[in-house]
Amino acid sequence: MWASDGSSGAPIPSNWIPPIHVSGFDSCILVGRAEDCSGNIAILRSLVRIRQLFLNVKLKGENPLLSQLDPLSSTPFLFVLSMASSLRLYLTCIRNTLEAAMCLQNFPCQEVERHNKPEVEMKTSPELLLNPVVICRNEAEKCLIETSINSLRISLKVKQADELENILTKKFLRFLSMRAEAFQVLRRKPVQGYDISFLITNYHCEEMQKHKLIDFIVQFMEDIDKEISELKLSMNTRGRLVATEFLKQFI
Amino acid sequence: MAFFERASPALKHILLQLYRDDKPFAVDHHLHEFGSLQYHIQSYASEPHHAYLSVSTPLLSTGSSILCELPSSTMETVTRICPEVVEIVDPPRTGYQLTLKLSFAKIPRKKDAAKIITEIASVHTVILSSQLRELLENVNDQEITQGTYKPIKLVYHQREPFYVVKQPEKLTAVFPIRIKEDSDVVIAKAFFQELVDVGSSGRFAKAPACYWSAIPPAELRGESMQDLSTNGGFVSFEIMARHVEGKKLEKTVWNLLNFNALVKYHVKCTKGFVQRRMRSRFG
Repeated sequence: MWASDGSSGAPIPSNWIPPIHVSGFDSCILVGRAEDCSGNIAILRSLVRIRQLFLNVKLKGENPLLSQLDPLSSTPFLFVLSMASSLRLYLTCIRNTLEAAMCLQNFPCQEVERHNKPEVEMKTSPELLLNPVVICRNEAEKCLIETSINSLRISLKVKQADELENILTKKFLRFLSMRAEAFQVLRRKPVQGYDISFLITNYHCEEMQKHKLIDFIVQFMEDIDKEISELKLSMNTRGRLVATEFLKQFI
Repeated sequence: MAFFERASPALKHILLQLYRDDKPFAVDHHLHEFGSLQYHIQSYASEPHHAYLSVSTPLLSTGSSILCELPSSTMETVTRICPEVVEIVDPPRTGYQLTLKLSFAKIPRKKDAAKIITEIASVHTVILSSQLRELLENVNDQEITQGTYKPIKLVYHQREPFYVVKQPEKLTAVFPIRIKEDSDVVIAKAFFQELVDVGSSGRFAKAPACYWSAIPPAELRGESMQDLSTNGGFVSFEIMARHVEGKKLEKTVWNLLNFNALVKYHVKCTKGFVQRRMRSRFG
């Protein structure tokens, strides 16, 4: 999705209105003018469609600025920086990289006879290792994919917006790591600088379907964010209930 | 459960069992609650309608003086629980601050019996409340002198002192929050945020105003650094005259005394809740 936040060095238009956060939506809405799109018809069309969707669904009436907009006029319109679309791009990039990297084959150790270990872990022969790839969504969310001839290591850094998300992420990922045997491909200890790591060997690829393994990794990444957000929400709700009950005692 | 029951559930259960059992039997129970509170319940087969309840509790005291014996005002309050049934034994049993002789024969055989026994089981509350109550009862005194604004340090648990500051028309109770584990601090802070949010909503306009700050509030200026070093910040409640009127007084006292325990209980339960949720998700 195209967007401009003025940080690219371009001058900020005079009609620029700062982002509006609408509770209940995982999106950031910017209001601008059609000229800012440099006449790109595809972007204009999609933006108008998004605006109509938003106006029809829930925003109308909640935000006075949005309710003033005329859905039939071409300007002004809404720029929607969708977190969902940014996540989709991030996940698609990881999926494509994994598909390219997951061409593993059985390969015994070159140094020690009758040893067959994941080369990505042992790192005995540099010629068996590929360059590691880091895919970043932002500073807080990134994915490291290390590939070797017979194994693949995927390390994830999960978004932690505040202290609460930080401890919830740690708790949740530790909980999963302690049950790593149930996942088969989960590493008990994450790579330094990351929150969780997976190790896929050629044996996993032989036993399981390759595309299913990739689906699992991508699904895991989607679910982990959702799960932590839900945990945080329910913890706050619980705290609010307790606070309400406590204060009721004084009335 | 967002608050603690005033009556000890275990003590209440044992006393009710003693009261309801027609056949006399000997009982010798030791109960430990809240870490340092002890109950000793004794009854003899030879005295079928009597039981002896001994209590040992850390007393609420100011930072400078530590009390070992119950003050006379507290003893008077205890005798008022149910004068026909409860009798103070003097001297108390060795190792306890108070021994009560309970005459079950004098309890009416009606619905009131459970109510009376619940009151006896809340003897710990009565003891603790009496001192703080004295402070709160004087909330309407308009005596404003230089010394009145000085915070009074109250110690119930040695590691958890709290402060009461008497100001014109209100008392401010300030709780320095100290929690061992860093992860628990985060949960507690999230709870304080909710407490402040809920307290500032219109629905709870009549509840005491609640504030949280990471740094010591201005009222505690001049206190020792050791007492003011916390990892969970400071929670303050502003107690107005309307919060200590009539029956509300006892509730207010009890809630304030147990605030620290409530925070710890909430943190523990929240951790359990997160663990349960993860387990159910995994299953």
